[in-house]
Amino acid sequence: MLKILIPSMFMLLTTWTSPFKQLWSTILMYSFLVATLSLTWLAMPTDTGWFYINNYMAYDPLSSPLLVLTCWLLPLMIIASQNHLAVEPENRQRTYISLLISLQIFLILAFSATEMIMFYVMFEATLIPTLIIITRWGNQMERLNAGTYFLFYTLAGSLPLLVALLIYHSSMGSLSYLSLTSLPLTCSNLYADKLWWMACLLAFLVKMPLYGVHLWLPKAHVEAPIAGSMVLAAVLLKLGGYGMMRIMIILDPLTKELSYPFIILALWGVIMTGSICLRQTDLKSLIAYSSVSHMGLVAAGILIQTPWGFTGALILMIAHGLTSSALFCLANTNYERTHSRTIILARGLQMVLPLMATWWFLASLANLALPPLPNLMGEIMIITSLFNWSFYTLILTGLGTLITASYSLYMFLLTQRGPIPHHLILLEPSHTREHLLLALHLLPLLLLIAKPELVWGWTA
Amino acid sequence: MNPYILTILLFAMGLGTTITFASSHWLLAWMGLEINTLAILPLMCQSHHPRAVEATIKYFLTQATAAAMLLFASITNAWITGQWNLEFMSYSLPTTLVTVALALKIGLAPLHAWMPEVLQGLDLTTGLILSTWQKLAPFCLLLQINPSNTSLLLILGLASTLVGGWGGLNQNQLRKILAYSSIAHLGWMILVLQFFPSLTLLTLLMYFVMTFSLFISFKVNNSTTINSLSMSWSKAPIISSMVPFILLSLGGLPPLSGFMPKWLILQELTKQSLAPLATLAALSALLSLYFYLRISYAMTLTMSPNILLNALPWRLPSNQHTLPLAITTSLTICLLPLTPAIITLLTL
Repeated sequence: MLKILIPSMFMLLTTWTSPFKQLWSTILMYSFLVATLSLTWLAMPTDTGWFYINNYMAYDPLSSPLLVLTCWLLPLMIIASQNHLAVEPENRQRTYISLLISLQIFLILAFSATEMIMFYVMFEATLIPTLIIITRWGNQMERLNAGTYFLFYTLAGSLPLLVALLIYHSSMGSLSYLSLTSLPLTCSNLYADKLWWMACLLAFLVKMPLYGVHLWLPKAHVEAPIAGSMVLAAVLLKLGGYGMMRIMIILDPLTKELSYPFIILALWGVIMTGSICLRQTDLKSLIAYSSVSHMGLVAAGILIQTPWGFTGALILMIAHGLTSSALFCLANTNYERTHSRTIILARGLQMVLPLMATWWFLASLANLALPPLPNLMGEIMIITSLFNWSFYTLILTGLGTLITASYSLYMFLLTQRGPIPHHLILLEPSHTREHLLLALHLLPLLLLIAKPELVWGWTA
Repeated sequence: MNPYILTILLFAMGLGTTITFASSHWLLAWMGLEINTLAILPLMCQSHHPRAVEATIKYFLTQATAAAMLLFASITNAWITGQWNLEFMSYSLPTTLVTVALALKIGLAPLHAWMPEVLQGLDLTTGLILSTWQKLAPFCLLLQINPSNTSLLLILGLASTLVGGWGGLNQNQLRKILAYSSIAHLGWMILVLQFFPSLTLLTLLMYFVMTFSLFISFKVNNSTTINSLSMSWSKAPIISSMVPFILLSLGGLPPLSGFMPKWLILQELTKQSLAPLATLAALSALLSLYFYLRISYAMTLTMSPNILLNALPWRLPSNQHTLPLAITTSLTICLLPLTPAIITLLTL
């Protein structure tokens, strides 16, 4: 609704006109206000239709959890960025905050779009602020390459999507979500229609990412500054999942045969990227590959097209968003102290920063999908629906769960337990800001244990 | 240049284009094109630099060839049909010859080889005139004839987008990059010419606005290579922060207004059942996007903490009027939501 979108747009004005001494406090308070207001979207009416409709924006049980996650993430990004931006000149700080806010505006418009081309335009629009954040404020030389990979992988996938949407529009007449379910299905056996099916899905598979086209993600996540990593992991990957869920409606009945290789590729990707995680030396890279692993499971769940698959995918997306963002914040606390992402350079931190170890513990447990957290609920529902589709997927998903548990535990034990290396002479104690940041990530996750119906999607 | 001479030359350029706009007789159209060509030649070689003179001669030769081919085609048409009217060309040989002649005039692939070298020899302002004003008269003619050969226009268009993309990849001279960008955009315009001519006009006008911003931004920085752009953040920080958006708009990224012509052209092509061509053209735009992104990396998105090893440009106070730059930059960035209004305006 407009009462969230218009304040977000005016937050841009506030960024540029606040007095500099009060900039961060003002923006933080403003974004918390918007985030609190957005929580009203979670109160869904009991039917599964659309609500809060105007001509261009509407919400339904699928998009409202993702919207709330988007709005919740902006204050968290601002808290996380405060430290590393403090050394920059004033105008650049304002520019950075404006980029984060414009990203939120585009995301709100994307998740609440009622028409596919609007979704497409906003999907692409999120690329530009993210590109600028990665390449301008990243810390290493490789960030230019990362930005290029990020932009070109996503665009190479999404330009065929644009053509596919225009083809559908010219044959069916409308691309509005509200009327998609009542349009006739595309039943045909032509090779061109199979290419059309592929074109519709490719953009979202690249964005999710699917295992074969995932190369942009480790680069982009690692080179981005903390706010960039947070928003990439938490929300931008979910744009791919959300788009896939929306477009599945028009892709029947071709999906029955055509999705087979992609489901297998997604599950294989779960195992492969999990195994890569076990061999990583770079902490952010480990978390990035863990994201690919979880999103592979989400992709498989969506391609199965069953109610439990969709519900599991949505819950896993929300839970993974919060967890992955929390892990990136924890990795950032390490980075700000040692200015290195190498895991072995910052080991045994439980001795030095015991309270941070609590957050590491909780986040690692969430990552390995411990009951009763919603991560487990999502994974179990997806694994069950995959088992229903074919018994043999249990081998792949079971192995995947095992490897996920092992690398999450590996990450926790390596960073927290054991002796401290001798070169760590002076580490700053944990800031209250960092504790607040992690509490705000993990508290919603813990609260979702009590009422997961909020993020269940249509099949409440 | 002597202000009187400059005035006469600029008026002559305007006169030439206006004559072509107003003409319905082929001889008059040809005459307007020739006046246009001859008027810009002194502007092009005014610095008397050998490269400028070479560029002028190359431009003259290609444009004269194109005009002669145009004259030949219109005489052939007059011989066959007995009339000189622009709109009534019904035989395929004269129409095809006219299309090829106009393609040489504006620099479509595979008749594009003169464009990068000519633009490289000019200063930025004359280059701007070459890229924008000089394209108006040939496009006016292209929009009026009825092209009979569908595949010719599609081949010209697709080849131009591909050549414009691949050719610009290895350049670090800004004027050559702008030349290849011009070739690519002209390709997009030609693709949709026979289906929806108003979109050609829309793409042309959008291209004018975007290129104007880019040329003037480069002129404000007084830089002609990518390397010299890297110090612009200290001279003109706001322009430096706007140029990536102009470049991404030229590359056709939503939500900037450069997406509008590409979107509408892809829509028209899919309606005409040319979806594979549409996909190929869209993907070839990614090639151009790569070198636009590279320029924006050099200019804004990277900043050396220390002084670069390049020679630092002088930071002289600038009296340039930046109001046109401000207007065209705003249009380049913010015009996409007005798409329905613009389509209505153009299809009236």
